[in-house]
Amino acid sequence: MAGGDSHFDASAFEQSLEQRQPRRWIGWRLRAMVLAAMLGCGLVFVLMRSLAASPHLDATWQPTARGQLTLLASPVPALADRAGLTLEQLWVPGHAPLALDELLLQRTGRWLVDDEQRERFLQQQRQLSALLAQGQVRLAFSDGSSVTVDTPPRGTGGLGLLFWPFTAFALLLYLVGWGVLLLRPGLRTALYALMVWCQGFNLLLIGAENVRGLGLPPGFGGIDLMLRLTLDVVTAGAAACAYAVYPRRLPEARPIFAAVAIVVAAWTLAAYAGWLPQLWRATQAVVLGLGAMATAVVAWSYRLAADPVIAVMRRFTSIAVGTLALVSIAVALSQHLAGAAPAVAAVAAVIWYLFLASLLLLVPFLSRSRQVLREFALVAGIGTVASSLDLIFVALFALGPLASLVLALGLGLGVYVAARQWILNRMVGARVLTTERTFEQLYRVAREVHDHPEHTPQLLARLLRDLFDPLEMLWLPHRLPAARVVGGGAALYVPLPDEPDAAEPAQVLVMRHANHGQRIFTEDDAQLAARVVEQVLRAVAYDRAVERGRTEERQRIAQDLHDDIGARLLTLMYKAGDRDIEDYIRHTLQDLKTLTRGLAATEHRLSHAVGEWKADLQQRLQPAQLQLHWSFQADRDLPLTVGQWSGLTRILRELVSNAIYHADATQVDVQLQLEAGTLHLRVADDGKGGDPAAWTHGLGLGGVRKRVRALGGQVQWLANGERGIACEVVLPGFDGAAPT
Amino acid sequence: MAVKVLIMEDNPVARNFLCRVVRESFSDAQQITEAGDLESARRHIALAGGPTGLHGVDPFRLILVDLELPDGNGLELLAELSQYPATKIVTTLYSDDDHLFPALQHGADGYLLKEDRFEVLVEELQKIVRGQPPLSPAIARRLLTHFRGSGADAAAPEAGLRASGSGSSGSTRPMPIDKPVDHERLTPRETEVLTFLSKGFTIKEIASLMGIKWFTVNDHIKSIYKKLNVSSRAEAAVLASKQGLV
Repeated sequence: MAGGDSHFDASAFEQSLEQRQPRRWIGWRLRAMVLAAMLGCGLVFVLMRSLAASPHLDATWQPTARGQLTLLASPVPALADRAGLTLEQLWVPGHAPLALDELLLQRTGRWLVDDEQRERFLQQQRQLSALLAQGQVRLAFSDGSSVTVDTPPRGTGGLGLLFWPFTAFALLLYLVGWGVLLLRPGLRTALYALMVWCQGFNLLLIGAENVRGLGLPPGFGGIDLMLRLTLDVVTAGAAACAYAVYPRRLPEARPIFAAVAIVVAAWTLAAYAGWLPQLWRATQAVVLGLGAMATAVVAWSYRLAADPVIAVMRRFTSIAVGTLALVSIAVALSQHLAGAAPAVAAVAAVIWYLFLASLLLLVPFLSRSRQVLREFALVAGIGTVASSLDLIFVALFALGPLASLVLALGLGLGVYVAARQWILNRMVGARVLTTERTFEQLYRVAREVHDHPEHTPQLLARLLRDLFDPLEMLWLPHRLPAARVVGGGAALYVPLPDEPDAAEPAQVLVMRHANHGQRIFTEDDAQLAARVVEQVLRAVAYDRAVERGRTEERQRIAQDLHDDIGARLLTLMYKAGDRDIEDYIRHTLQDLKTLTRGLAATEHRLSHAVGEWKADLQQRLQPAQLQLHWSFQADRDLPLTVGQWSGLTRILRELVSNAIYHADATQVDVQLQLEAGTLHLRVADDGKGGDPAAWTHGLGLGGVRKRVRALGGQVQWLANGERGIACEVVLPGFDGAAPT
Repeated sequence: MAVKVLIMEDNPVARNFLCRVVRESFSDAQQITEAGDLESARRHIALAGGPTGLHGVDPFRLILVDLELPDGNGLELLAELSQYPATKIVTTLYSDDDHLFPALQHGADGYLLKEDRFEVLVEELQKIVRGQPPLSPAIARRLLTHFRGSGADAAAPEAGLRASGSGSSGSTRPMPIDKPVDHERLTPRETEVLTFLSKGFTIKEIASLMGIKWFTVNDHIKSIYKKLNVSSRAEAAVLASKQGLV
């Protein structure tokens, strides 16, 4: 990574947050756009009228291996029943007959390699126009029959299936070019618009070349040839210049501009003056040379600043130039082949133009998801490669047309399937995480946010970092309504809340250069980021709602138990009459209260519980004239579960009750110790001692055993020195059972 | 003259029991009035001088209030009687601070748990009347957070005011908000007492731990009670002035 980009300035981001007011389509922009659209439509209309007015011969032909033309189909009745016959001659009385060979089926001279061949093609086209202009032509077929056919103007309806989509695509390119230029007028956008317009014009011409039947306006062939050559050269030159100023101006911009201008001017001069002996080769060399220059410039730009936008541009450029080179080689190799090869070559070239146009269209929308366009570009690119390969196989290995077609198609499909993901990743990059891992992370982060709501922004940032693997991350204290991609995909702003419950996001997380600078952020990423944040917060809110519901329900049960059963027990206790029964009911009531408090309380900390236990025992021992010795030690404080709290409360109460009522003791010694996760409880008295199991109220001791077992501990009774008895309870894993 | 006592308790058996407790607790002649709900209690109080305790009428000296009553909560009555010159004691089955703390805030001088033994209740009642309010660890803890919270809130604006107005202008702020702020604070000693109480220490233990007499500890507790009550009354005053009642 080059260091030229390292001064990462937060204030620049702050500014960009303020500035990014979308430019409005009002005022002069809208007017200029409407004007441009009308102009474009007018141009298309003129072309359409001229094509519709030109006379034509409505028939489909197929070249044979020997360079002859076979009638494939025709809607003209006189020709319809001659399908399958080879055309011998096409003439009009009083005119020279037309030379008939497969060149006649070529639509443009742009991709004819040989100068002589191209000259013949143009000558043929001129002648054909002249013949068709007579209104009637005669055709002679191989079976000796001849027929006279009218050549009416083709009319708007007869422009064919290919004309309209190409025209539409061309108009789209034209308008996108204007849109980009009008939104941000400047050198960069002007260069981009120039490229887009050139390619749009190219597509318009391709559409015009491919109208139905034979016959184009007079002179169209020559104009078309020179226009298309010029458009390609200008596009390549504009690309080389564009990378010198986009995304940032290179220090060497001026020499680059000068070099491009010289090359383009020299080519134009030479080509129009007819000084280029090998026009096609020379032009391809110039175009590829300029393309290579553009690739070099963008690579240099990337070395100066590792911006993912440049990385994507570099890929686009090298793919476009690479495929163009492939198509050129294929066409050059197949120039002398007969049969289907010229048609395949023409198709390969057309597909390449579509590919280039779709790449150009992708550029302004890089950070926005354009799934259809992306797939289209991919298919067009692979189509170019497959058809070029087909030609090369035919030329190099002398394969049959069918075999080579199958092979090339298979290879193309194979490449498509195998490389689709790879290419897509190269274009916009892969997700760093798999879906499964993403869900796992989401879940984990949601739990952590639930446990530590104060760390919400950090946890969310970590999740997003894992998702996008950005090169840099920073925080801005700013409010932003929604996640947003800025800098053409260089950075992503995600608003994050301080707390899961916060109504408004309080700060903005800026992530720069996804996938370690290898990928640009897309609108999809912004949506994903926003959704991820939303989902985490929602999961936390849901958890909390569930917990709140549970607590409320527990509290309701506790309240009902306490109020209803408690009041009855109290009445019963007052009416008991017998002291023992009164005490028994009192204990029951106290147990009920412990139970309901355990249900209702949300948290008991050990230190708090110990304070209450001590006060409780004190209060109970005092009237019975017993002295309490209390000691408590803990290496740390921890929250008790409801089970631990109520279990320990009852164990303590039961043991102390025994000391009060059955031991005849004067002192009770309680030691509570928490050490390394193990709780030790020792309750000793100086009473009469003896076997605790023999005590009549064995019920209580059974309860102690049960509760100690439920807490996963052990209990034993020992003689307490000379007098009395001690009960020792050990509860291991005391902290592990409690949730942290 | 007999000491007048009001016992408000809806359960007749419990009422009977509490009457016995009161009789046992005091050697003086007593005149016990019983009430089963808030309405009859209010009637009795109106006869005995009204909620503010008019001069010249013999008021109740001791009032036992149950929290859960058929026609409302005993806290309502406690709030009405905040100026009434009697020892007010909450008798309840609830021993958790969620129920007891509001009662103390509403001016209760102490609380008795109805399920305690007769002797225990008699002793506790005598203590409260003598001026030894009981404080459970949970309540002590709650008191600590209460005073810490309001103290911190009150301290910040006050400091700012002093800084700006120390020179000439003096205090022009309305009095009711300004004055009780100082009363709401606990002294370090009181905080210490509360901390010990929250850990379950008895008053005697605290006295020996702090090296002071047990009745000094008791004074601290009484002072805390008073501050709690004052703070709640101050809050009421602020609320009242906000609503334009004062």
